[in-house]
Amino acid sequence: MNQRILRLVGIFIAFVFVFSMVTQAQVERFRIALTGDESTINPYTYVTGYPGWNMLTLQYDTLYQLDTSGVPQPWLVSSAEVSEDGLTVTLELRDDVTWHDGEAFTAEDVVFTVDYFKEFNHGRFTRDLRPVESAEADGDYTVILTLTALSPSLELGTLADVPILPQHIWSEIEDPGAEDATFEIDVNVGTGPYKMVEYQADQFYRFEANPDYFMGAPAVQELVFVIYADLTGSIAALQSNEVDMLVQPIPPEQVDLLSMGGDIEVASGPLFTTHMINYDMERAPFDNIAVRQAMSLAIDRQDLVDTVFLSAGTVGNSGWTHPASVYYNDAIETTYDVEQANAILDEAGIVDSDGDGIRELDGEALSVEFLAQSNNSLRIRMAELVREMLLEIGMDAQVVVLEATTLDEAVWPGFDVNQGRNYDMSMWGWSAPVQADGIRVASLIHSDPAIGSLNLTGYANEEIDALSAELTQTVDTARQQELMADIQSIIAEELPFIMLLYPDGMYAYRPAVYGDWEFMTGQGIFHKLSFLP
Amino acid sequence: MGSNGQAGKLLQYVSVLIVAISLNFMLPRLMPGNPLVLLAGVDVGLMTPEERAEIVSEVGLDRPLHEQYFSYLGDVLTGNFGYSYRQSRPITDMILERLPWTLLLAFSSLLFSSAVGIVLGALSAWRRGSVFDLSLLNTMIAIDALPPFWIGMLGISIFAVRFGLVPSQGAVTPASGYEGLEYIRDVIEHAILPILTLSIISTPRIFLTMRYTMIGLVGEDFIRTARSKGMTERSILTRHMIPNALIPVVTVLALRLGYAFGGTVVIETVFSYPGLGRLIFEAVSGRDYPVMQAAFLLFTVAMLASNLLADWLYPKLDPRARRTL
Repeated sequence: MNQRILRLVGIFIAFVFVFSMVTQAQVERFRIALTGDESTINPYTYVTGYPGWNMLTLQYDTLYQLDTSGVPQPWLVSSAEVSEDGLTVTLELRDDVTWHDGEAFTAEDVVFTVDYFKEFNHGRFTRDLRPVESAEADGDYTVILTLTALSPSLELGTLADVPILPQHIWSEIEDPGAEDATFEIDVNVGTGPYKMVEYQADQFYRFEANPDYFMGAPAVQELVFVIYADLTGSIAALQSNEVDMLVQPIPPEQVDLLSMGGDIEVASGPLFTTHMINYDMERAPFDNIAVRQAMSLAIDRQDLVDTVFLSAGTVGNSGWTHPASVYYNDAIETTYDVEQANAILDEAGIVDSDGDGIRELDGEALSVEFLAQSNNSLRIRMAELVREMLLEIGMDAQVVVLEATTLDEAVWPGFDVNQGRNYDMSMWGWSAPVQADGIRVASLIHSDPAIGSLNLTGYANEEIDALSAELTQTVDTARQQELMADIQSIIAEELPFIMLLYPDGMYAYRPAVYGDWEFMTGQGIFHKLSFLP
Repeated sequence: MGSNGQAGKLLQYVSVLIVAISLNFMLPRLMPGNPLVLLAGVDVGLMTPEERAEIVSEVGLDRPLHEQYFSYLGDVLTGNFGYSYRQSRPITDMILERLPWTLLLAFSSLLFSSAVGIVLGALSAWRRGSVFDLSLLNTMIAIDALPPFWIGMLGISIFAVRFGLVPSQGAVTPASGYEGLEYIRDVIEHAILPILTLSIISTPRIFLTMRYTMIGLVGEDFIRTARSKGMTERSILTRHMIPNALIPVVTVLALRLGYAFGGTVVIETVFSYPGLGRLIFEAVSGRDYPVMQAAFLLFTVAMLASNLLADWLYPKLDPRARRTL
C-alpha cells in the first residue's frame, strides 16, 4: 500500500518535472516595447529602418539572411551559382517553404517581387534591386537573375535585404504607393517565423509564431509589441513589469539603474551606428584642410566615450570603418594631440591676431554654428564637450540645438544631395546598414550624387572618386580589402567628416521570460535569429 | 437688436473659422523639414531625384500652392480629410479611434477638477484670510507653476514603478483578451494616473476663478441685503454667492472643454495614451501634413464651438449680460 503511494508520488513528481521542462522550452508570450507606431508593417508601410525593418522580416523572409557575424547566408535559397562573367546568378530555392496562408512558395514569387519593386517605387527595396536587370523563373524552384553590372553588395545589400512578396496577394494590389492606398493587416502574408494577427494603432501589435516555419518553430509563441510615446515611458513600463524588453538600446546611465533589481539584464555588444561631425567642406573654414586636421587632433574621442557613454563604446576610426568590421584598416592611427593641432594651425597662418582667444582665417574668426539634435541628449552632451575641446585650439563652435527634422533639412535639404547644404557644422550619425555593408562608404565620399547619395559634406576628390567607383564594381574580395584600406587612409588624412565614436548597443530584457538572444555584430539582438531554435 | 447682434456674432465666428482654416493650411508648410521620409521611407536619401519627384507628385505636393489650397478647402467642406502619409490610412478613422480615449481623460478630469475646484474655492473664499484659505491658495498657486509632464512622471515613478499600484503606460493591457467588466476595470486602472494628473493641473485655475469671484461678491449690495434680511450665513452662501460665482467658472469650464479636443499633448505623451494629443505629437514630429491639418482643424472647431457655447450660456445664467448684447 505504502509502496503504491510512493510510486504514485514518484510518477507525479516525474510528470511535474517533465511538464515544467516542456513549458520552459515554450515561452508563451514575450512583450517588447517600441517607441513610436510602425503602421501596418508590410513592405510598403513600415516606417523605420530599425526596428521597423526587423519587424517586417519577422513576417517576411529574404533570399539570404545575415548570420550572427553579419555575413549573408543562403536562407530561402538553397544554393547559388554565378556565371563566369559574374552577370548571371542562378538561385536554387528551397522547396519546403509555404506562405502563412498555406500556399506554396515558388520561383514565381521571387520573379514577381523583383518586378513589383521595380514597377512600384520603394525607397529602400527599389534601390536595393538596382543591380538586378531582370529575374526569370526556370521551373518552380530556380530563379535566374541577370545583373546590370558586377555588384559586390548583391548578397548583403540586395538578396539579404529585399523581403519576398507572395504573388497571390500582391498581384491584387494595383498601386501600393498611391495616396489612397490603404492596407489592412490581412495583407501581411509572408513566409517568416511570425505572422501579425492584431494591430491597434499607437497601442500594440500581436505576432503569432508560425509553427511550420522551415527553419524550425520559433521559441516564443506570441510576441506582443507595445507602442510607447518615448523611451522614458518604455523604461518605466519595463520597471513596472508591463514589458519584457526594450527594442531601443538603453542610454548608458540606465544600465546600472535597471540591473539593480536583479530581474532585468542587459545584453551588450558593438553597434555599427555612428556618431560623427559633418561640416560643409565648400565653405570656410572647413575648406581648409589644416582646420579639419587640427579639429580631429583636438578632439579627445576617448573622453567622449568615457564621459558621455560611460565607456560603453568604441573610439572612432578617423578613416570611418568600425574596428569590428572585416574591412577595418588597422594601420590608421587616430590620435589626440592638442599641441600638434595648434602647431598645424600656426603653420597654416591661422592665428589669433586680435588676442580674443579665437584664431582668424583670412580675417574671419574661426567661429561657426554647431548643430545638434534636440531629441538626442547624448549628441547634445557630445557637442558641448567638443565645443570645449575646440576652444583649446582657438576655434569657437557655438552649439545650436535644433529639432531633428529642422536639422535634417539644413544638413540634407530634401534628402537630396543635389540640393546642396545649408549649415556650418553638425552632429550626425548613420544607421547600422551604412557601416555594415563596407562598400557603402562610397555613398559618403563620391562627388557624383548618383554614387555619393549620402555625401552631405560636399567632399570632392578625384582619387577618392576613382577608388570608390571601382569599389562599387569590385566583386573580388582581396581587391575590395585593398580599396577599402586605401579609402580609409585617405579619409583619415583628408577628413571629409570627423568620426567620433561607435556606441555599444545595450538592450535591457527580463531573462526569466526569455533570454536566448543572439547578438549580431554591429546590429544588436532584435532580429529573427534570436527567436529561432 | 438681439438677433442683429447674434448675426454679427455668428459672422465673427465664421470669419475666424476661415482664417483658422487658411492658417491651418499654411502652418505645416511653413515649418522647416519635409515629409519625404514618411512618403518614401527612411532610405529616401538613396533614391534618385526622379524617384523622389515621382513620390512627391503622387500626393500632389508639387502642385502650385494655390491649387493645393483650393483642393484642401474643397476637402474640408466635404469632410474629406484624406489619408495619412505616415500610416496610409484614412485620417477620419485615425481620429475616431483616438477621440474616445481623449474624451475619457478630458471629461473625467474636467468633472473631477471642477468639483474639487468649485468646492475648495468656495470654502476658501468663505474663510478668507484663515490658515485654511492661505495654505490652500499657496498650494494651488504652486501646483499651477509646476510643469505638467513633471507631475505625470512623478506619479509614474511613485505609483507605478515604486509601488506597482497602477500601470505606468497606455490605455489598456496590450493583447490581454479582456472582456466586459474585466476590460472596464483594465481601462479604469490605466486611466487613473493620467486623469489624476490632468485633474491636478487643471484644478488651480478653477479654484482661483471661483475664489476671486466669491470674494468680489462679498461686498455686493445683494449680499448685504440678504444679510440684513436675516438670512443664515449658510443659505447666503448656497443660495446667493455660489450660484453667482459660478457664472465666470462656467466660462472657464467651457473653454477647457474645447481645449480638451486638442488632446492633452504632454500628458498623453508622458503616459503613452493613444489619444488625439499623441496623434498630434507624432504627426508634428513626422511632418504628416494631412494629419496635422485635420487634428488642428478639429481643435479649432472645438475651440470655436466651446466659445460659442460660453457666449450662449452666459446670458442664460446672467441676466445682466442679456442687456448688454
